Amino acid sequence: MPATETHCPYCALQCGMRLSPPSAEDRTAPPDGGERRRLPVTVEGRQFPTNRGGLCQKGWTSASVLAAPDRLTTPLVRDATGTLVAATWDDALDVVADRFRAVRARYGPDAVAVFGGGGLTNEKAYQLGKFARTALRTRNIDYNGRFCMASAAAAANRSLGLDRGLPFPVTDLDGGQAILLVGSNPAETMPPLVAHLAGAREHGGLVVVDPRRSATAELTDDGAGMHLQPVPGTDLAVLLGLAHVVVHEQLADTDYLDARTTGLDDLRPDLAQWWPERTEQVTGVPADDLRRAARLLAHASPHRGGVGAYVLTGRGLEQSRQGTDGVTAAINLALLLGLVGRSGSGFGTLTGQGNGQGGREHGQKADQLPGYRSITDPAAREHVARVWGVDPAEIPGPGLPAAELLRALGTPGGPRALLVHGSNLLVSAPDAARVRERLAALDLLVVCDFVPSETALSADVVLPVLQWAEEDGTMTNLEGRVLRRRAALPAPEGARSELWIWSELARRLDAPGRWSTDPSAVFDELARASAGGRADYSGLSHARLDAHETATNGADGGGLYWPVPSPDHPGTPRAFLDTFPLPGGRARLLPVHHRGPDDVLDTAHPVHLVTGRVLQHYQSGAQTRRVPELARAVSDAYVEIHPLLAELYDVAEGDTVRLTSRRGTAVAVVRLTRSVRPDTLFMPFHWPGENSVNRLTNPITDPVSGMPEFKVATVRLAVVTGETVGAAPVAVVTVAAAPVAVTRGGAR
Amino acid sequence: MKVVVVGNGMVGSRLVTELCASAEPGAAALDITVLGAEDHAPYNRVLLSEVVAGAYDVAAIDLPGVVDPRVGVWAGVCAVAVDRAAQVVVDSTGGRHRYDALVLATGAAARVPELPGLRRDDAALTPPPALTPTGLGCDAAGAAASPLPGLLAPRSDSAGLVPGAHVLRTIDDAREIVAASVNARHVVVLGAGVLGVEVAVGLAGRVGPDAVVHLVHPRGLMNAQLDAAASEVAADAVARLGVHVRTNVGAAAVVLHDGRVTGVVLDDGTQLPADLLVVTVGTLPETTLARGAGLDVDRGVVVGPDLATLRDHRVYAVGDCAQPPDGGSGLVGQGWDQARRLARTLAERAGALAVTPAGPRPEASDGVPGDDCSCGPVDDSSVVKVKGRGVDIVAMGVSGSARPPACGAHPRRTVRLSDPDAVRHLEVVVQGGRVVGATCVGGGAVAADLVAAFTRGTPAPRDPAQLLVRAVGPVGGSAETPVRIPDRATICRCNGVTKGDLVQAWADGSRTVEDVARTTRATTGCGGCKAPVCGILDWLRAAEPARSAPAAPTAPAAAERGEVVRSDSRS
Ligand SMILES: Cc1cc2nc3c(=O)[nH]c(=O)nc-3n(C[C@H](O)[C@H](O)[C@H](O)COP(=O)(O)OP(=O)(O)OC[C@H]3O[C@@H](n4cnc5c(N)ncnc54)[C@H](O)[C@@H]3O)c2cc1C
Ligand code: SF4
Repeated sequence: MPATETHCPYCALQCGMRLSPPSAEDRTAPPDGGERRRLPVTVEGRQFPTNRGGLCQKGWTSASVLAAPDRLTTPLVRDATGTLVAATWDDALDVVADRFRAVRARYGPDAVAVFGGGGLTNEKAYQLGKFARTALRTRNIDYNGRFCMASAAAAANRSLGLDRGLPFPVTDLDGGQAILLVGSNPAETMPPLVAHLAGAREHGGLVVVDPRRSATAELTDDGAGMHLQPVPGTDLAVLLGLAHVVVHEQLADTDYLDARTTGLDDLRPDLAQWWPERTEQVTGVPADDLRRAARLLAHASPHRGGVGAYVLTGRGLEQSRQGTDGVTAAINLALLLGLVGRSGSGFGTLTGQGNGQGGREHGQKADQLPGYRSITDPAAREHVARVWGVDPAEIPGPGLPAAELLRALGTPGGPRALLVHGSNLLVSAPDAARVRERLAALDLLVVCDFVPSETALSADVVLPVLQWAEEDGTMTNLEGRVLRRRAALPAPEGARSELWIWSELARRLDAPGRWSTDPSAVFDELARASAGGRADYSGLSHARLDAHETATNGADGGGLYWPVPSPDHPGTPRAFLDTFPLPGGRARLLPVHHRGPDDVLDTAHPVHLVTGRVLQHYQSGAQTRRVPELARAVSDAYVEIHPLLAELYDVAEGDTVRLTSRRGTAVAVVRLTRSVRPDTLFMPFHWPGENSVNRLTNPITDPVSGMPEFKVATVRLAVVTGETVGAAPVAVVTVAAAPVAVTRGGAR
Repeated sequence: MKVVVVGNGMVGSRLVTELCASAEPGAAALDITVLGAEDHAPYNRVLLSEVVAGAYDVAAIDLPGVVDPRVGVWAGVCAVAVDRAAQVVVDSTGGRHRYDALVLATGAAARVPELPGLRRDDAALTPPPALTPTGLGCDAAGAAASPLPGLLAPRSDSAGLVPGAHVLRTIDDAREIVAASVNARHVVVLGAGVLGVEVAVGLAGRVGPDAVVHLVHPRGLMNAQLDAAASEVAADAVARLGVHVRTNVGAAAVVLHDGRVTGVVLDDGTQLPADLLVVTVGTLPETTLARGAGLDVDRGVVVGPDLATLRDHRVYAVGDCAQPPDGGSGLVGQGWDQARRLARTLAERAGALAVTPAGPRPEASDGVPGDDCSCGPVDDSSVVKVKGRGVDIVAMGVSGSARPPACGAHPRRTVRLSDPDAVRHLEVVVQGGRVVGATCVGGGAVAADLVAAFTRGTPAPRDPAQLLVRAVGPVGGSAETPVRIPDRATICRCNGVTKGDLVQAWADGSRTVEDVARTTRATTGCGGCKAPVCGILDWLRAAEPARSAPAAPTAPAAAERGEVVRSDSRS
């Protein structure tokens, strides 16, 4: 087996990786001498602009999931006794197709719903959207990216006319004099990105807004910048305060605002209400820090002779009922400083999931068709229908966004059957207990996964699929750069690609059109479907991407960034340089208001709870909890508590506490740290069952983006005695090896 | 439903914005008339002291105005009378406005003290009535008596004072002070409350070292908010910003020359030269209209918890002119909160016009409902913070020298940190497990944390003293030496490599950064840990010659901590 150049399976940085045949002395084995799995490939970082050869621990250990002892390799169908038993592919697919047909006959096509994922390749995301609309003929398809990028996407589309996470290459950040990071913790979530912050840190220009003293916030120490630590849920107000200072201290780029934006006259009076002292009262960020931060950004901005400045947002700001407005406030600030659409400066959002960008462009979203087209736009429907070989009238209208979709499952008039791809809903969706209840109310749950995730174990039919190193395709990373994912290994006996599964189901459901199982052919179709859309891939093909990479010796120096509207188009590394795709070519300044989180503090819920990720785990942890090194590094669900708060509640390091919100309770082990505010707890969301912080989170959503309020809730806490943590009950699986939950149990 | 709003200031304008934004079904049927005495779009009055300080441009403090077909704004027009029986408001042009609901948002006027020489009509030598508001050119009797009511010009608050003397309440006042400061060499600010301090510090910054700014106050600086000890430190802080602070001495008279201010005589006989005098001795709610309409007026227009006046449920008062059951704070936060609540009430009323709300409405629960402590609910909008560069004075809740008595059920703890040499004075008052008051001079970020704890009622630590130092931050200094780093401390975060892992790698033969990168993956993520990894390798190298036993690499660290050296420290 020759070495294969591909990219990491996990996050949107899509670090460049080389997979080679395992060496005798396998370097991906844990350095601390833990359990050694026989790994099918050796992983090493390779030179690529986003990671420059580096990988984080998740990347280094990614081969481990390929060797997961409980890898699914046969379809499972729940039998009359309620047990999941092995089935042949033909039988399993027949069951799925028959029951889909039955549900459709009884309740109509919208009663079959599809839930996708931001980890699927572009090809799969595209094909899944097409499968839903033309084979199932349902309007109800949405994906977990709704829990991730929807607010940023909605805001960017509204203000800038285009949503590309970073509308500039990541490497541009290197030259920034100042970088404002709002609600993002890349030091934990995508460590190699931190290298791109080094330039700003040298200038003392890294400004991190985070209620926690996160690993990223610590990067501002020693004169490298500033950490603004607002009360949870008030980061939007911080942005209003910063914008106030920019406008009122006359630090705004007036020439740029005149030439390239609209709405200043409406925005200015609105901002007049956010003078620093008031902002301090709302946010807890000292007025002088707000002034200092605003000036620091302004001095780095081009119109004041600075080298360049960036405003970047993350989930902390976005996962809120005012998430879209929060991002809008960040965009307003960037526009006031004249940063957007200027080489060397900019606004962007740090996409989380591996293909969070591509996943939202090709039709997995309830309201979208491929090429980032609106499903309600007649011209878009017409174009896509032609590519799909259907009548435009047959394409359903917009469906329910994720949180609503999940709430509607199994309810009268709601979907009765659900097909899940690349998502571990039971752990990752808000108000997890309710999700479990909704899934249980379905007539049919079909889950495609490669390991028995919590969601798979509760399904009626489980279809085993391929992992990243076993499949070909493309991903679009956080900068809108289209990348090749390449297979290094043959598919294991019994597992199948989703493209194959959908072609089989499409045939059984008598769907129109072509259902190729070849990723490169599906890509070509995607390219045609996207032609003329905002995310135009029509100038790309697997062959062109491969040739481009070879030409730059694997490092993909220039990269191919969408839109790429023709085969000789060089791609678009930087968007908005000349114009914004909005009326008049101008970006919009839009006044937004701070309402704060839905959960309020009261005597029954006296502290804030914020949620997030840790370095060692990805999303619901279904993959990373199966990597021994990662599971060992961070094994049990934990909650971070400030020593002062701990003292008040008589809890000590290592105690088990129960947290209670207005939705439910969760249990975790206490870690004392001074990095959280004494009025705030932090709990990561990678664990299932009792330990799932999403039993506590608030499912209320942003009215524009449908994003749930994951990040802030209010809770009370109490010490639990005589309970164990982490021993979530293990469901019985007759075929696969015991699920990994076992490796986490008994730790206490 | 016809709503008439009198006053287009910070709270009146906010009320109208909120009404227009209401999603209540009835809101569509609203018909809103706004009468505003100031011939100006609504602006942010709070920032006038910043305008005086030169930090803000006077043109840049406009607040959002409403453009809505349901709203008619009469700028520069005063309400002069209310006929409650007919439900009509009469304006200064003779116009009549019928209402179903009338909202008084007339704000407050600057108080002018009884000080010989200060008022223009002092020339007539009639002693002025005690503490008269200067009026906004709107008092009902005056306007009615005016021969040309329609031409009654809106004027600044300072009208009525002798040339050279000013108050600061309106945008015109601010403009005049700014203009007068250009040539001023001797500035006297009378009254060292919050506004006086802001103005004095702002003007000291504006006029620079060539001019002298005196701040005169008969008691301690900001005595309404600060007790004697805090006040002294605050006075010191203000003095360091170039203001000559004269506390505990009042003004006796204004010295005039050719009818212009040339000085101020103090109670102790000192005469301060003055070419610009700014009077900041407090405000009085503007209640003329309400009084004329026969409504209950105490300090302000008396309203119930639902913001309706006691006698007439069709008439409401909000903002500085109102006196709600818990008292008016004179702060905009309280007024904006009232505007939000009243907008909801009115929008609901518009939906069910027939029903006039009777009993008190439930209080809004923005902050912390369910107060623990029966003996003094926290008014979370009562945070006073001095604005301006270099001043750092904040007071909230229980503070100053007049404090509500503590109750037996919830013992009170008051903890103070006095650091006068560093111009710092902090105090926190905890009761019923939460912060009920605090005073911070020079508190920096601690003050911001206390504001957050006070307004949200989050649990206070067992020892309130902890509240006086920053709770969040690095545990140790950042310049840790490798010796003191514990073995379990993570050095390479990206790859979860601890110091112990590096020590082990050294023991296994790794000697360079490249070696440890290969064996532990440290430095291969973001690369940010290269320096500490090198530091640890250097330290291990330095320890090398002294090494005798093979298990010694852990020796330096362990020995330093006085631990037994275990050869099996890592498995
Ligand atoms: C310089 C300065 C600094 C301040 N700083 C702060 C601060 O830092 N923090 C804080 O919380 N508060 C501060 N305040 C107080 C704050 O400005 C007031 O609480 C707020 O303006 C009250 O709003 P309002 O609408 O009730 O009154 P106003 O804003 O005074 O508005 C009342 C309006 O009604 C008009 N009016 C009066 N009578 C009539 C009539 N008969 N007919 C028509 N119109 C009429 C007036 O002309 C005026 O325009 C400050 C005030 C000043 C002057
Ligand atoms: S998880 Fe993200 S940061 Fe870590 S190696 Fe993979 S792509 Fe890179």
